[in-house]
Amino acid sequence: MHVKKSYGAVVVLLAAVLVAGFLAAESKSNRMERYEVKFFDSFDTVTVITGYAKSQEEFQEQTELLQKKLKYYHELFDIYHAYEGINNIKTVNDAAGKEPVEVDREMIGLLKLGKEMYQETGGKINIAYGSVLSVWHEYREQGMADPKEAQLPPEELLRKQSEHTDISKVIIDEKASTVFLQDEDMSLDVGSIGKGYAVQRLAEYAEEIGMKHLLISVGGNVCAVGNKGDGEPWRVGIENPDLDSDQSYVGAVELTEGSIVTSGNYQRFYMVEGKRYCHIIDPDTGMPSEYFPSVSVMAEDSGKADALSTSLFNMEVQEGLALVESMPGVEALWIMEDGGVRCSSGFEFDEEK
Amino acid sequence: MEASVAPADLNLMKKNDVILMGVLAAAALILSVGISLYFAANTKMAEAVVYVDGKEQGRYALNHPQTVKISSGDGNYNVLEIKENQAEITEASCPDKLCVKHRPVKKSGESLVCLPNRVVVEIENGDEREVDSSASGTGGENHGKKGGIYGNADSSCICIFLY
Repeated sequence: MHVKKSYGAVVVLLAAVLVAGFLAAESKSNRMERYEVKFFDSFDTVTVITGYAKSQEEFQEQTELLQKKLKYYHELFDIYHAYEGINNIKTVNDAAGKEPVEVDREMIGLLKLGKEMYQETGGKINIAYGSVLSVWHEYREQGMADPKEAQLPPEELLRKQSEHTDISKVIIDEKASTVFLQDEDMSLDVGSIGKGYAVQRLAEYAEEIGMKHLLISVGGNVCAVGNKGDGEPWRVGIENPDLDSDQSYVGAVELTEGSIVTSGNYQRFYMVEGKRYCHIIDPDTGMPSEYFPSVSVMAEDSGKADALSTSLFNMEVQEGLALVESMPGVEALWIMEDGGVRCSSGFEFDEEK
Repeated sequence: MEASVAPADLNLMKKNDVILMGVLAAAALILSVGISLYFAANTKMAEAVVYVDGKEQGRYALNHPQTVKISSGDGNYNVLEIKENQAEITEASCPDKLCVKHRPVKKSGESLVCLPNRVVVEIENGDEREVDSSASGTGGENHGKKGGIYGNADSSCICIFLY
């Protein structure tokens, strides 16, 4: 009798496993599938959207809407090109010292974020720093096109240009929805916050159109809407700034909402006489920052994360740590020249070994 | 106690029970062999898929070392090198060389991108990536290339990949 019983139990168990297996397979077929789309027409970089949908058609329809929306922000924040029918950053820059320009609410939102972050970071990011950034841009472009002739901008020129970077002369009239630059030699450059702001608005828009499991990356500016389709959080790798290393990531963080944004010196830079000069310029010195290779910021708002990663890149780790610890909901991770890692008290990540 | 009970129980086992257990064991064996055969048949080779302007230009198995010159018109090119089961761009005509700086790729969903030349190299059927995305340091002030900070409107393409 004893054997019969345990033998019967084995049969029941086997049957249960089989049924569970069928159920699992069944639920899998009803589950949403994972899709990924890449496009290249915005913010001069690669946009990757990963999500879950019932069909490829559904996903394609939704992501085409997102692509259009992103393109709109791209045009709005463009400092080099004019587009028919919209007043963008270039329009505002061109009217500097002349007249206020009527702009979309989205532009007002962006510029207000820029001013706010200037205050919060003690001026370590400045959207009114265009006059200096354009000089570096020009020298970097020339240096990359002709590395042998690569040069640094003359100090005198940088000093002269830096006299036209007073953010208090960016006049925002919310009621009239206008922007006016009071100094005719000043210009806006929103490269440090534009992408993050756009990603944040894009994530909100995605939710509005019913997308519930989404990971958006615009050139490594990553933002999550909900978790993965299977209920797991998204895993986002923090890129190793040492591009010669076999180890792609320093570690990975988990995201179910909010953003992670990295600023680094390892992708966009140029060389002058064997020394690397990166694309991020410290507003206090007018020179490329060289405190460390990379810093990543996690925050709920992608625009804020973008602004903070640039400003942290422009300060010593200790100073940055103090700033991050003073901000609720913000965490950061620094990667040092020797590969060492520093992070704020609440930064949770799986270190790659 | 247990030790003395077990042999006694074994003797009680009926012939039919033994047959049934045998049948079950055989069924399990056949099923597992079948499943592994099925997966073996469905495991494709990892390959690098090259797109220019969003259109597929070629597929190259990662286990077959070779060098491929990708031409994207107007004399522009990227040199794709496949060796040691991974792909990397070793040379390019673009000004920023971001694609050359990028480390080699080998896992599904990893890609090499050259925006100026509108070239994308995507890995398919490779090992699964351990992450869903990566936060990388392209962000920051004043990025952009000749002709405009965000001025790349002509290279719009859309590719969809199903996992």
